[in-house]
Amino acid sequence: MSECGTHSPDGSRSGEPELTCEESLARVYEYLDGELDTDEQEAVRRHLQKCRKCYPHFDFERLFLDYVHELGAGEESRPGLHDRVREMLAAEPG
Amino acid sequence: MSIPADQRQRAFESEALVHLDALYGLALRLSGGDEPRAEDLVQEAVLKAYRAWDRFEAGTNCRAWLMTILRNTFINQFRQQKTRPTPVEFEQVAERPSSDALYEADPEGQIFDRIIDDQVIAAIDELPDEFRVAVVLSDLEGLSYQEVAELMGIPVGTVKSRLFRARKRLQERLYDYAVEMGYIK
Repeated sequence: MSECGTHSPDGSRSGEPELTCEESLARVYEYLDGELDTDEQEAVRRHLQKCRKCYPHFDFERLFLDYVHELGAGEESRPGLHDRVREMLAAEPG
Repeated sequence: MSIPADQRQRAFESEALVHLDALYGLALRLSGGDEPRAEDLVQEAVLKAYRAWDRFEAGTNCRAWLMTILRNTFINQFRQQKTRPTPVEFEQVAERPSSDALYEADPEGQIFDRIIDDQVIAAIDELPDEFRVAVVLSDLEGLSYQEVAELMGIPVGTVKSRLFRARKRLQERLYDYAVEMGYIK
């Protein structure tokens, strides 16, 4: 694994264009959100396998998104809300 | 044959009202911590659900059904009202050099094990409306970009840019908090 810096794209052995660090980082959220198409997802994955500069950055963003997701909206209580809702429903015609 | 009203209400109470606190939690995040607004939203959504109760398929996910009604109720209001203008400085957050400050100071993300959830919730609540709603729908609720775009009535590209700015803003707030608490020097 090597540090890619901001190298310009060059051809890989498979002939697929390589992403630069800048191009990979521009796609970080789409990659982690699973919103890239298959080819782009694969191109970013290939870059991350090689680039020790980008990999930790992606890992950090993944931790951040996981944290926010796990936080979730969560349950919250509000005094009297249950009673007010039941009263509202009781007033509804049957 | 219609179900007697008292039986209908009992069924609704036992299956739907058990999710009231979850509905209120989502309403509170969507409305940016505005408690009276969140309660109004819950009441409106519950009333809609109650009136549509005969159409709820028993055995399916009642919580998800209620959450969808609440989201749609909120979005209808959100799209009708004029949101407050987004501060210019927020629009430019992507260009601000501090956007990656948290990563640079704490690349292993240790802050996520130490931060108090309330601080992050407060940071989400303080986001401008159109950014907060995108974050709540995408990051908290797990909707796809396309689903967020359709709900909010905006292009997918706008969802992406709003999520990018909102997430960087949240990281900036976490950075400030981490410095304040002495986690980061």
